[in-house]
Amino acid sequence: MASSSYSNSPCAACKFLRRKCMPDCIFAPYFPPEEPQKFANVHKIFGASNVSKLLNEVMPHQREDAVNSLAYEAEARMKDPVYGCVGAISVLQRQVIRLQRELDATNADLIRYACNEVPPATSQFGSRRSSGHGQGSVGDQNSGFYFPYNNDHFGDGHDRGEGSM
Amino acid sequence: MTLKGGTSQACAACKYQRRKCHAKCPLAPYFPPDQPKMFANAHKLFGVANILKILKNLDADQKAEAMRSIIYQSDIRDRYPVHGCWGIICQLRYRIWQAEEELQTVHAQLEMYRHHYQQQVTSMTDDVSQLELGMAPPNNSLSLFSHTPQLPASYNNAPPLPLSQHHHSYSDNNNSTSYMDSKDNVANSTWIQHQYATATNNNSNSIAIQSHQSAASQPLVVHDYDEMHPFFDTIDDRQSYIYSKEAYDSSSEESLKDTTQSIEDVAENELKSAAAGFSLISVN
Repeated sequence: MASSSYSNSPCAACKFLRRKCMPDCIFAPYFPPEEPQKFANVHKIFGASNVSKLLNEVMPHQREDAVNSLAYEAEARMKDPVYGCVGAISVLQRQVIRLQRELDATNADLIRYACNEVPPATSQFGSRRSSGHGQGSVGDQNSGFYFPYNNDHFGDGHDRGEGSM
Repeated sequence: MTLKGGTSQACAACKYQRRKCHAKCPLAPYFPPDQPKMFANAHKLFGVANILKILKNLDADQKAEAMRSIIYQSDIRDRYPVHGCWGIICQLRYRIWQAEEELQTVHAQLEMYRHHYQQQVTSMTDDVSQLELGMAPPNNSLSLFSHTPQLPASYNNAPPLPLSQHHHSYSDNNNSTSYMDSKDNVANSTWIQHQYATATNNNSNSIAIQSHQSAASQPLVVHDYDEMHPFFDTIDDRQSYIYSKEAYDSSSEESLKDTTQSIEDVAENELKSAAAGFSLISVN
């Protein structure tokens, strides 16, 4: 009776769980029946119960973002059971560090020019000799494979950035 | 009573679920009893059953890594319930974009400086050859050098390393060439005079006058000379040394001060005449 008043086909979640899709179904707006895999992944990794609890804790206008981020994380965990989306974070972090080093080296070259000092003749935009400029920053960690939970600076940075998202 | 039987405390997972923590508890290595929040976060996002499912098909070392990533992911979700790790990924992407943009700008500036530097080197060699021939330096050289120390506008936002790095680099390679560069930054007029002085190094008379004149006319630069003793000992005379000492040593004896004063007076007179002579020379 309730389902007939709502829609012909139940949402992907209710379809997957083989239950009646009620008008107040918390999954229905975010798991359309055309995307069954989205819910399947989320359910396999986090479980429908956890997802519904999580959705109830956030504001209605934020639920779509929450579902999409959960779906992304679930898919990443399906592809890479060991690292999940944390692997992507690690790759991006290394990229940030590499760029920062390159930027430091290029800035150092710029300073030499600005102060009329003769820079090394072999310097090609200071990009690839950046290994010599590491000067004990985060650099030494870069030789091995490391993950965001190995260093603290990242979480702090995110603290500041979260407000803008 | 369950805890009494074991040698150690139950892990956070078993404690949370109020069950007995066996010696082979698969979650015990990752959830120490003193960190219940860590387990609560992981349990809230994944649930024990799902965590065990993930761990089931992994090697021992992979299990440890997987647990670390699961715990990290859960902590992030606890802190940012809406975006979780996705928020961090977006932020990192933005930082990468920012760094790439900045890098592009810095590369462009560097290219500009490199071009400028090439021009400067060529004009500098021209100037030196003219000075060696006893010609007055062209006016455009002065304007060129006064431009070089300026930094681009965006540079003001850069971390405060330029000045300190600059200074250290000069003290590291303390030779006359780098000294000339540093003088160039401090005072253009004295730079030209000393270029002249070093160029006419054979005439000892004029050297003494030139160096002394610069010390008298630019008292601020004396401090700089102090740091550059090796270079100045070769061309400086005794009088200028006393003068500089008097200027900085407040506790010097009275008699020494008197002699210094008289010497200084004589030197002052000599200076004026020498300055007149110099201007004549430079005009010629």
